Amino acid sequence: MIRLENVTKSYSRDVVALRDANFDIAKGEFVFLVGPSGSGKSTLLRLMNRQEKPERGAVWVAGRNINDMPDSKVPHLRRNIGNIFQDYKLLPNRTVFENVAFAMEVIGKPRHMIRQQVPAVLELVGLGGKQERFPHQLSGGEQQRVSIARAFVNRPLILIADEPTGNLDPGTGEGIMRLLDRINKTGTTVVMATHDQRIVNMMRKRVIQLDRGVIVRDQARGVYE
Amino acid sequence: MISRIRYMFREMWASLSRNLTLTIAAVITSTLSLFLFGGTLLIQRAFNNQMQQWTGGVEMLVYVNHGTPQESIDLIGRAIGEQTQVVEAVEYCDEACSAEVAKELLAADPEFLALLLPEIPSYFKVKPVDKDNSDLLKSMSEEFGDLPNVNNVLTPDEAVEQLELFKSFFGVRVFILSLFLLSTSALLIWNTIRTAMFARRREIEVMKLVGATNWFIRLPFMLEGLLQGIVGAVLGSGALLWVNSNWTSGVEGFPSDTGLKGMVVTDSYPLWVCMVIVGLGALVGTVSSATAASKFLDV
Repeated sequence: MIRLENVTKSYSRDVVALRDANFDIAKGEFVFLVGPSGSGKSTLLRLMNRQEKPERGAVWVAGRNINDMPDSKVPHLRRNIGNIFQDYKLLPNRTVFENVAFAMEVIGKPRHMIRQQVPAVLELVGLGGKQERFPHQLSGGEQQRVSIARAFVNRPLILIADEPTGNLDPGTGEGIMRLLDRINKTGTTVVMATHDQRIVNMMRKRVIQLDRGVIVRDQARGVYE
Repeated sequence: MISRIRYMFREMWASLSRNLTLTIAAVITSTLSLFLFGGTLLIQRAFNNQMQQWTGGVEMLVYVNHGTPQESIDLIGRAIGEQTQVVEAVEYCDEACSAEVAKELLAADPEFLALLLPEIPSYFKVKPVDKDNSDLLKSMSEEFGDLPNVNNVLTPDEAVEQLELFKSFFGVRVFILSLFLLSTSALLIWNTIRTAMFARRREIEVMKLVGATNWFIRLPFMLEGLLQGIVGAVLGSGALLWVNSNWTSGVEGFPSDTGLKGMVVTDSYPLWVCMVIVGLGALVGTVSSATAASKFLDV
């Protein structure tokens, strides 16, 4: 599903965010990217949805080298990738329903489909009765669930999560991980960058560890070291 | 498709209402600049109409001595007619025709008419190709004046020349002013769109990440700019038609010798100017907003 071949990305001559990264992620896998701040986790995620382009190497997503992809095709690539952020990135002036519907609306999904799928996905993330609430009326965990619903509503092949539990207390974080695990079990590939040792150790999924832009460990059913 | 169109218009309205003060400023500037631009066109036309009324469309009269033989008159006519590069049309008015014209013009001065009629000259009415080129008129006047049996050559009088001078002085300056204002309005629309995009940067970021195309993101902003340009142009056109109608009815009561009575535009020209203004407003609005939307898409 995702393959990196000798990928190097630097932001300036002195700042190399990623150096000769190589790995394969199969369809339906759940992968943690771990490492300290500045180790290149977020850069790696940004390379996967073409928010960044590498200096060298190739990034393959769903069988296509996305570095060679023309800019006009990038939106179509992104429709297959859901994004979850640490700060949720919800639109404060829209309700829960509207926030999730927004992801369908902007890619031109018809109204009847929106009316049908948004409540279903809100039910899936456990927010069935809170469609008309605004983000400020929700807890942090609930806001992250809205963000997950928005990322998943178009049924993407891949879910990219950048520190999704970073702003949440441990209990709420565990709830979010259970939700991501459920989504992963539907066949969606999940790639998640995290600092959260407890969660990585609890989930026992594949772990790719980065240190100053270099992959230092790639371990199946790994733990945080 | 319908849901996309509905979405675009909804977003456009939302954005317009969110930046209401900036939107109003952009519309007012567009109105003013397009009003002035249209005004320049109407003023030029009014000057031309006034000139037409004063000169009757003839820019030059070549008078031929009374009693000149027909062969010599034909010779003068050919000499003028051969100047096809500078002469657009030439028409001969013989002594009988000249007498008729004099009787009409000098009806109030029978004594002068009685003195003039026995020696009345015939004349050629000459329309130069470029009636606004005073150097050309001067050289033509000199050339035709040297022809045998030519009594005199009359070019537009001083008043007409002054009117020409006033027209070019006034017209150019108002035109430049309107261009400045048009640029200001384009910049204001550009800035409004930029502010609107900045206010919605989070939405744009989310839109890009969920796979909205750049055109889909841009279009509501372009529609917003287009609407601002068109509303400004429609208001400017309305103001222009109102001012033109008031001016036309206002100068009707003026005495003929004020020289303002003919300085009006009464045909369908103002409507044509309004269409040009609306087209220009739409163009300025679309181009400014499209440029801003493309430049600030990576907010």
